[in-house]
Amino acid sequence: MFGTQSKRDLSLEIQSQIHILRPSIHARRANITVKFQDLYGFTVEGNVDDANILNEVREKVREQGRVWWALEASKGANWYLQTHVTSALKSSLKFSALVNAITLKKLIRKGIPPVLRPKVWFSLSGAAKKKSTVPDSYYNDLLIAVEGKVTPATKQIDHDLPRTFPGHPWLDTPEGHASLRRVLVGYSFRDSDVGYCQGLNYVAALLLLVMKTEEDAFWMLAVLLENVLVNDCYSNNLSGCHVEQRVFKDLLKKKCPSIYAHLEAIEFDVSLVATEWFLCLFSKSLPSETTLRVWDVLFYEGAKVLLNMALAIFKMKEEELLTTNHVGDVINIIQNTTHHLFDPDELLTVAFDKLGFMSTNISKERKKQEPAVMAELDQRLRRLNSSNLDDQS
Amino acid sequence: MSYAYLFKYIIIGDTGVGKSCLLLQFTDKRFQPVHDLTIGVEFGARMITIDNKPIKLQIWDTAGQESFRSITRSYYRGAAGALLVYDITRRETFNHLASWLEDARQHANANMTIMLIGNKSDLAHRRAVSTEEGEQFAKENGLIFMEASAKTAQNVEEAFINTAGTIYKKIQDGVFDVSNESYGIKVGYGGIPGPSGGKDGSASQAGGCCS
Repeated sequence: MFGTQSKRDLSLEIQSQIHILRPSIHARRANITVKFQDLYGFTVEGNVDDANILNEVREKVREQGRVWWALEASKGANWYLQTHVTSALKSSLKFSALVNAITLKKLIRKGIPPVLRPKVWFSLSGAAKKKSTVPDSYYNDLLIAVEGKVTPATKQIDHDLPRTFPGHPWLDTPEGHASLRRVLVGYSFRDSDVGYCQGLNYVAALLLLVMKTEEDAFWMLAVLLENVLVNDCYSNNLSGCHVEQRVFKDLLKKKCPSIYAHLEAIEFDVSLVATEWFLCLFSKSLPSETTLRVWDVLFYEGAKVLLNMALAIFKMKEEELLTTNHVGDVINIIQNTTHHLFDPDELLTVAFDKLGFMSTNISKERKKQEPAVMAELDQRLRRLNSSNLDDQS
Repeated sequence: MSYAYLFKYIIIGDTGVGKSCLLLQFTDKRFQPVHDLTIGVEFGARMITIDNKPIKLQIWDTAGQESFRSITRSYYRGAAGALLVYDITRRETFNHLASWLEDARQHANANMTIMLIGNKSDLAHRRAVSTEEGEQFAKENGLIFMEASAKTAQNVEEAFINTAGTIYKKIQDGVFDVSNESYGIKVGYGGIPGPSGGKDGSASQAGGCCS
């Protein structure tokens, strides 16, 4: 009898039986804050409604799983790999490939079941292909080669390991730290131009949680930085990230003109929220399953997906944002929204169905923004250099 | 919660010097040695009293890695005070102060009050920068200076409150046009709760947007 139960008893019950939780309307109104673990072991703090949403998400994930299994049964285990129409294929096969491609795009937007993620991501992102071009021993050889070496990157990585999702039951253990360290240090030697940039620690950590092996996580990180994301996103001046923010700002102007005008008026710069989004790929902002749903689409459709998500977050809060008077209020609304987006479909529906046709050619837009970004970064560098000279003279 | 003035602060300095810890110690009075790395911006807020007037401090905490410096530009906008932090046990964090200061001078308003903080004073046995060097740098650059410890809370209150005191004095002396919010100062509504009163109250209790 929920009606006569004390709030304390109820919250105890919530903590112990979170999987089968169906609280009464009284409990919903009580707005009790509960702590629970989500699908990937992250501790989430939310109210009873949030817990319910997470349970519904679990159920939807199971349903999606059934859809994928049925497709495997009818089309074969690796059907999604046969979506690229190549000239070598016969015309009848081409048609089935096209059908598969359409099915796949829709299906991926609805989410890849967690058990299939490692396999599907690895193939569709291009990581498998990347790995196949080097000897099987590449990753192990790399780790042996870098062992014991100390660079600015390794020092920073060591500093950041305990600051990457602290409290996570696996990531925040000696084993988790060691694994994350190997991936990040290994990558810092693979691409010394990037070395290590903060933000990559969160991305690599989440990849480790999803992928079956550390080596696969490494290749996912490699394909992300080298093929999926925009160039120079993690370079020493984050130039790619600057470009992306300008492209985003322009898109916001086109897609949400009233929000854009209001934010301009109160002097809100999108970089205040979008830096974290574009560098951590939402892993630090959204609940884990929502982030991974974004990544499902990211690995298949490419980096423009991040812009869709960013736009959607603003769009979802249009009314509230238009009432703000201060930059701080905007940041609060946005952060509060992202932290509580427990239902991935809520975000993805807006991102793909409610923004209208994204006619803009994103790569053209990026090219357009590059000169201004480079000029700005160059100016800063010259200013800092000249002030150093002043100090020395 | 009502306030006579709201001051915006930013906390800057190299990564790992303890910026987020100083903020948490000031807003929540606790030390959390391990916390999430700051990538974008995090907030904290607290009410203080100066000259019997309630003043709200809204504090912005930022990322410190070198590459992020090209982004922090927009954080400086409208800041009345800055806490420039280095770690007394790591020499390089002290050596980088000049370029932080250069960024601050470039992007902030000229009257921004800057407090230099040598953090981790509890680790005196591992000290790599002497107190005198800190004092000297502050003197040469017109900054207020203090050594503090986010861990033991030593001088943390003082650092934030003395900065506010200096800003308050500048207001009294007519340095700022307080009706112009680009100076990082907002005039409150005295005893009447402001338009965002409810929200402000909860923010100062929770000490941040993300808790």
